[in-house]
Amino acid sequence: MTAQATVATQEPAPDRLRAPVGRLLRAELRWIFRRPRTLVVLGLLTVLPVITGVAVDLTANGGAAPATGGPGPDGPGGEPPIFVTMATSAFVLPLGSLMTLLMLLLPLTVAMAAGDALAGEQSHGALRGWLLAPVARGRLLVVKAVGVLVVALVAATLVVASGFVTGLVLAGADNLASMSGTELSLGEVLGRLVVAIAWATLYLMAVGAVALAISASTEHPMLVVVSVLGGLIVSGVLLQISALDWLHPYLLPQSLGSLVDLIRDPVATGGLGEGAFRALCYLVIGMSLAYARLTTRDG
Amino acid sequence: MTEPAVIAGSAGAVAARTRGLRKVYRGTVAVDGVDLEVPEGAVVGMLGPNGSGKTTTIRMLLGLVQPTEGEIELLGVPVPGAADRVLPHVGALVEGPGFHPFLSGRENLLRFAAAEPLLSGRELDGAVSAALERVGLAGAARKKYRAYSLGMKQRLGLASALLAPRRLVVLDEPTNGLDPAGTQEVRRIIAELHAQGVTVLVSSHLLAEVEATCTHVVVLNAGVVVAQGPLDDLLESGNPTLLVVTADGAAAAAALHDHRVTAWLAPAGVRVDLTGTTPATVIETLVRAGVRVDEARRERTGLEDVFARLTHDLGEASGERTADQPAAAEPASDQPAGARPAPDQEPVR
Repeated sequence: MTAQATVATQEPAPDRLRAPVGRLLRAELRWIFRRPRTLVVLGLLTVLPVITGVAVDLTANGGAAPATGGPGPDGPGGEPPIFVTMATSAFVLPLGSLMTLLMLLLPLTVAMAAGDALAGEQSHGALRGWLLAPVARGRLLVVKAVGVLVVALVAATLVVASGFVTGLVLAGADNLASMSGTELSLGEVLGRLVVAIAWATLYLMAVGAVALAISASTEHPMLVVVSVLGGLIVSGVLLQISALDWLHPYLLPQSLGSLVDLIRDPVATGGLGEGAFRALCYLVIGMSLAYARLTTRDG
Repeated sequence: MTEPAVIAGSAGAVAARTRGLRKVYRGTVAVDGVDLEVPEGAVVGMLGPNGSGKTTTIRMLLGLVQPTEGEIELLGVPVPGAADRVLPHVGALVEGPGFHPFLSGRENLLRFAAAEPLLSGRELDGAVSAALERVGLAGAARKKYRAYSLGMKQRLGLASALLAPRRLVVLDEPTNGLDPAGTQEVRRIIAELHAQGVTVLVSSHLLAEVEATCTHVVVLNAGVVVAQGPLDDLLESGNPTLLVVTADGAAAAAALHDHRVTAWLAPAGVRVDLTGTTPATVIETLVRAGVRVDEARRERTGLEDVFARLTHDLGEASGERTADQPAAAEPASDQPAGARPAPDQEPVR
């Protein structure tokens, strides 16, 4: 009561019409990382590379294989050789895990975060609280998008870090061969892993932007996750149909195969660059749609 | 959509005003031509049956929904055009509380406090504690929202409306789910705000609630304002009655009927319709007829009567009647003219 009284007496500065964006972001992140399901999913994503590494280690009976496996073919169909030879290297295991999880689990994690961000808030009636405070709808979208971005970044980092640590434990720091047969230094490997995280985050954010656009148009977070899941599966099917070659460059999962290039030496940047550009296009379109929908939506 | 130039600058005495407000949802007219005026410093009760457009009007007032037509002025500023400029000074509880179940009441409030422009970073904690204290939730602040009872959820919603110092507080059905003690507390909070000079707009279907707390009333029916003004004026507009306390009610009623004065039995005597007559004439008539008059007092029409009359064409207003007030107090056979609907006979506190 006393705080209320003292606040009332001081005249608010006329220009203070919006809460600082840093404060909003902190509140948003606290909310995201207090949510039990966020923590469960992130925990699961951390455990999966460990399980993969240990399982491969047990079946391959040691970590000598990666360098001798030979390069796989390009494109999304080129996984099997990598998977077989991925073994437990602290270089290949994190990248392999990232590639596998980028197909479905990581995009779904991001879709879940995006679904909760707008549709979930709306379904609880909590979006009104922000709008009435007021937080302008554009700023609200920025805050929500940053929240999704942080989830994507944390998820990708956890997968890579967990794979890296597992690889170090299982195979040590001296077994860091590229797919082309050259040996890489630890620093080089770390650099490439950071690039992989950044690239994966951009890819996930493209998914997240589209998910936010859906999230802005519904109040059922489940619908967001289902739409993203459906979109990924349909894209995957379309990518298998060679008669639709002309369509493939427009499909987001087309980019996924290029992540393999990070295991080559030297790194082939063409595919990665194209993938990043494609993700950027999805990002811009998704965020524009989300903005258009959120600003006209009834609160 | 917004034409700020059309709206004259703040007239000084009006906290919220709408002109020709209209909202159509996919062909359904929710609100039609609402001209609302909320005087500054008043406690305005918004009444209306379910679906009469109360909540839609409030949502448009707060810039949550774009009106199809019409202008809105909130604290002298056009809405939704410049809503960002006034909303910091407006606290609102609309369509029930909106919080997340996995956070505690305090954490939920802290989230929204972070978005309040008028609170500085250092004030957040204090403001949240004060708001929780004010609605009587200090003890349950650390409990998960999931575990809150309906009444506690409602209180938390009220707390979020009171996080920052406000000039206008808008409460949509604030007593929903509250027990009598909670209802009393809401009354106390509204009275406190009123004493501080804060304008309050409260929508309710609890007529007794509005009658007890409000200075002004707006009655909506089927999306149209059917009455608005100071509560006293509205109550006076109903038929004034005189309650005559007497041991011989039947004789009194008969005597009055002989003189073409409408009267009907009340538990303590007779209730007399004062249209077309005066208290003095009534008492004189009774005394001449030999009826002993123990006491006579003027009665105001209850808000319930006024409400029933104003929204009558919607069928019975009985669905909106408060549960704590019995519907008909007297047997209908005592009706002299037989024309009056039962609610009009209800005794007024």
